Amino acid sequence: MGDPTPAAGPAVLAGGRHPATAVPAPSGPPGPSGRAGAGRAVLAGCRRVVAAAGWLWFAIALVAVWWFASADSTSAYFPPLRTIVHRLYELWIVGDAKSQLAPSLEHFAAGYGIAGAGGIALGALLWGVRPLRESTSPLLYFCYVLPAPALLPAVITLFGIDTTMKVAIISFAAVWPTLLNTVDGMRGVDPVKLDTARALGLSPLRTAGSVVLPAALPQIVAGLRNSLQVAIILMVVSEMTASTSGIGYFILTAQQSLAITDMWTGIIVLAVLGSALNLVFVAAERFVLAWHYGARAAEGKRS
Amino acid sequence: MTVQPEGTVSVGRADPPGNSGTPDIPANPGTAEAAGAPVLSVRGLRKVYPLGGRTERVAVADVSFEVARGEFVCVVGPSGAGKTTLLRCMSGLLTPTAGQALVEGQPLRRVPAQVGVVFQDYGRSLYPWLTVNRNVALPLKVRGMDRADRAERIADVLASVGLHDVGRRYPWQLSGGMQQRVAIARTLAYRPALLFMDEPFASVDAQTRFDLEDLILRVRERFAVTVVFVTHDIDEAVYLADRVVVLSGSPSTVREVVPVPLPAARDQRGTRALPEFLALRRRLLELVTSR
Amino acid sequence: MTGPEPTPPAAPARSVRAARAAGLARRSGRLTGRLTVLAAVLGLWQVLSVTGYLRADEFPSMTRTAAALGREFGQVGFWVDLWATVRAWAAGVAIGAGSAVLVGSLLGLNRFAHRSASPVIELFKTVPVVAILPLAILEFGPTLRMRYVLVAFGVFWPLTIQVIYGVRSVDPTVRDTAEALGVRALRRFAVVTLPSAAPFIATGLRVAAATGLILDIVAELIGGGDNGLGLGILTALNAGPAAYPTMYAFIVATGLLGVLLTGAFGLAERRVLHWHESQREHARGPGAVSGG
Repeated sequence: MGDPTPAAGPAVLAGGRHPATAVPAPSGPPGPSGRAGAGRAVLAGCRRVVAAAGWLWFAIALVAVWWFASADSTSAYFPPLRTIVHRLYELWIVGDAKSQLAPSLEHFAAGYGIAGAGGIALGALLWGVRPLRESTSPLLYFCYVLPAPALLPAVITLFGIDTTMKVAIISFAAVWPTLLNTVDGMRGVDPVKLDTARALGLSPLRTAGSVVLPAALPQIVAGLRNSLQVAIILMVVSEMTASTSGIGYFILTAQQSLAITDMWTGIIVLAVLGSALNLVFVAAERFVLAWHYGARAAEGKRS
Repeated sequence: MTVQPEGTVSVGRADPPGNSGTPDIPANPGTAEAAGAPVLSVRGLRKVYPLGGRTERVAVADVSFEVARGEFVCVVGPSGAGKTTLLRCMSGLLTPTAGQALVEGQPLRRVPAQVGVVFQDYGRSLYPWLTVNRNVALPLKVRGMDRADRAERIADVLASVGLHDVGRRYPWQLSGGMQQRVAIARTLAYRPALLFMDEPFASVDAQTRFDLEDLILRVRERFAVTVVFVTHDIDEAVYLADRVVVLSGSPSTVREVVPVPLPAARDQRGTRALPEFLALRRRLLELVTSR
Repeated sequence: MTGPEPTPPAAPARSVRAARAAGLARRSGRLTGRLTVLAAVLGLWQVLSVTGYLRADEFPSMTRTAAALGREFGQVGFWVDLWATVRAWAAGVAIGAGSAVLVGSLLGLNRFAHRSASPVIELFKTVPVVAILPLAILEFGPTLRMRYVLVAFGVFWPLTIQVIYGVRSVDPTVRDTAEALGVRALRRFAVVTLPSAAPFIATGLRVAAATGLILDIVAELIGGGDNGLGLGILTALNAGPAAYPTMYAFIVATGLLGVLLTGAFGLAERRVLHWHESQREHARGPGAVSGG
């Protein structure tokens, strides 16, 4: 019970203290609708715009500072933002550099998909079979803390530099956070909820599906979020080390051929891509875990 | 009360079966039809937790009593008397170290289908990812009830605990008292013959508590359910029960079983003002606090 | 009237002793289980190599890898590599964490400041850190500095968020008490705010330790340099199949370093913060919950 299980690692890290999840927009109780007139909607809209301005002014100011400070830049490494934006348009909007995104996203989707599904399935299996969990936990912990990029050279010798290699390294690296959080989340299910399931006459299988899985879901999702970061890093790194396509390949090639402005456009595209993937994740999370945030907000209000 | 050869203490229905009640229990309108085998019989129940190393904690030392069909029995004791452990053993959630609990004559290996349990902590026992309707539907689905019957049963049972138009809400959108009503409805939905309640009203405010106490008396009438109600509140025990089982402090044994000869129809202001109520209350308080 | 004091029957006492013995047996069983699994995995590796399922020029056998690992442990070069990696990691984490605590605390104290800066920090947190690696390589070349700058950059954003959140989560009662006691300004920050934020910072640091190591290895593999475990892996890869055992030895060593660093941070977290509720799990004894 008290032994340092690997799950203790991601558990706290996934504790949901993440501000992105700490300030969710809880879908409140369905209030009496219809009475709210258009005036109220407009008012709410205005308030939202003001709030957004309060949040965004600093980001906008930063971009403005970059824009004006770099305007007359002659530094080889830091071209004017204007030039970068212009090149960004040329290459990624009208140009064909966007074709680099397809292989990257394919590798990412396949690798992350395998890691997520495999992590949950294996995690559930380890939760269910205690001897297996206990005897494999040091090994799993080792895999979890092993810096995955260190495996890249080895994976290259095994799979070459094609798609298989990238999917293999992404899924191998990204599976651990989800797996360990799944085990930990399932083990941490409130005993009262399990007692209730037994009192209501739920079979073990139904308890696993209808009680343990949803109860562990917040932590499973936290694990999936960590896996997402790992998957994105390995998507880029695998393309930087051994590839002939992809966004990582584009950035590194541009750097090595000293096409600095091109490199900057790649960095911006990658930054936007990473943020977009995170945004999609957070949106999905808020949808799937709406009950969780609602319950937590209600709890906070009561105490 | 007799001491049996094995050294276990048997209280209440120690007489041979067939007797409709122990002599010291007056015929109560609510339990008049009580007959046949007891719904619940607890025999020499003992539960010991190993605490690691050489230490152990005896939560329940030796408890025996029986509950007849239709009875409302409260179990009281000082805090830390192992009441919850006892309830978990009686309902089949926990295996006793020694002795046993029989429900309708059958030893327990799991929670029997005709048993319901209401926990103290409604916030933890209701499933926050399910709406009220789905929470109540869960045990019905398990029992293979079809969709239409389910909907009807859910509406009926929610109405019987005084809840209307909350089916599509989530439990956490309701007040504490309403949440406990949902938990009670979920348990009543599958019509258990025997209902265990573990300090179900300990986490709600005083007014809500009175409402819920009256609710459970009405519900007991309507569903003809036998209730074993664990509480540390003596007033509550006297107000609700036909009989009160008083436990000693930890490790618990049965100190005495006290019949409650109050009229079956009870109301918060009238019943609590009766001289008999006050006398019983004083007596139970002495029993609970004596060493 | 009180019930007779029951004398504990023999049977339960025996069953408790049995339960205790079972607990002991389980613990030793767990250890043997773990050793068995470890041995089985290593054995399977060896068998697959010997039977030729794993080709020797692709995946060296377990014994050859173990031998290579033993050989590396005896060589100065290995320890120089290890030290370089630890140095880049430590410098990066120290710089990143130090600035994160400073910036995060300042931002956390002011509602307007943190509301303005948070979206930017959140955005930077989601930017894959490796994106700026080429920039760092351009600016600093294949140096130790390039590596710890990348590590510091990667550690900074998520940790700052943690610090802000920790500083802002100070229990209002605690804060009011401090106010009432006349504890103000810097002292209040040191006595009230930082200890309250400590659990969040500690958690962030443990994550940062792991992230930092990953980023340093990435920087070594892509940016190059003189010494480092990642460079050891790369050198062995480039030396061809004959050096593959050395490559795997370096990979295993990197993993062990990960275990060591993350373990140390985890241990420190548990030691220092034993009072905090996030550590309650570890303090919870058996018996309280035993049905599950």
